[in-house]
Amino acid sequence: MFSLFYGLWKYMLSKTEFHVLILGIDKAGKTTLLEKLKSIYSKMEGLPPDRIVPTVGLNIGRIEAANAKLVFWDLGGQVGLRTIWEKYYEEAHAIIYVIDASSPSSFEDAKSALEKVLRHEDLRGAPLLILANKQDLPGSISAEDVARYLDLKELDERLYMFQAVSSYDGTGIKFGIDWLVEVMERSKRTEILRVRAGAAGHV
Amino acid sequence: MGILFTRMLSSLFGNREARILVLGLDNAGKTTILYRLQMGEVVSTIPTIGFNVETVQYNNIKFQVWDLGGQTSIRPYWRCYFPNTQAIIYVVDSSDTERLVTAKEEFHAILEEDELKGAVVLVYANKQDLPGALDDAAITESLELHKIKNRQWAIFKTSAIKGEGLFEGLDWLSNTLKSGGS
Repeated sequence: MFSLFYGLWKYMLSKTEFHVLILGIDKAGKTTLLEKLKSIYSKMEGLPPDRIVPTVGLNIGRIEAANAKLVFWDLGGQVGLRTIWEKYYEEAHAIIYVIDASSPSSFEDAKSALEKVLRHEDLRGAPLLILANKQDLPGSISAEDVARYLDLKELDERLYMFQAVSSYDGTGIKFGIDWLVEVMERSKRTEILRVRAGAAGHV
Repeated sequence: MGILFTRMLSSLFGNREARILVLGLDNAGKTTILYRLQMGEVVSTIPTIGFNVETVQYNNIKFQVWDLGGQTSIRPYWRCYFPNTQAIIYVVDSSDTERLVTAKEEFHAILEEDELKGAVVLVYANKQDLPGALDDAAITESLELHKIKNRQWAIFKTSAIKGEGLFEGLDWLSNTLKSGGS
């Protein structure tokens, strides 16, 4: 009996499409991450890093990972464009926040932008994966050091993880995505978004 | 530069027929942009159904231009030009703040079209050379670009008169189409 319900639950989840926002300040490596995700998880060949230009809008990537359908929204990180981030919050199941771990001069901006993201009501309960990116570069600091630097308050109710990655060579990405899928599947926010989408469907 | 870009685009589509629609209100600068890209002769046609479509054919890619807005009776005929559209280049006069609301409404109406669902969107915030022109962030806000969630979009500040920003936008377009589009 249990396995029947469990099967049903799994089935319902399999139909869920998770929306994951990729945020971070400019030059953090968000689009390079997105392209790497495409090449790791789908047969599509992502753009090589040297072809990637600063994003002034929205890039989208659709993949299947760990039996879940994921839609990534990669938004431009330049100061003037950050105002559009919040328009995508309401429908997001989770956030990936990318930090250039090799660029200490950008940490302050990255920290304050992230704090603003986390304060936003529309993202309440959304799991957070913080990526200490550019581990391929000399001088990049570890995920632990990034966590220490950011010193984020009020994270206790939110599921979060720090992970060292290289969007350039792919190191650490799978581990982070596996974690993200797992927490999205059991997060209260996913349930809330599902109910809301269902209600909208009946109007 | 223009030739180089279009050659790149053509190689993207192989032998498939492809279409890129260049749309916007009248006087946004669409035709000037086409001329700036120097891809060939712009042919203006006024079909019997009564709306003016400009076409530039470059190898297998058709760039087609017409004005949005205006009389509603001819709109159903726009659909003749929708099939196989890979991209929409939406041109806005960034200095014409009075008509930004209309530009927004027309833009979202065209995006509703079923046959254009797969097309990626490139916005040119044009006429940046004019005083009082709004920047890319302000145009993003006015056009409510954030309502687009199922396809890729990008915005570039351009001055068609000076030839600025056009190729940066097209670069994005060819990259995006190459990496799988929407």
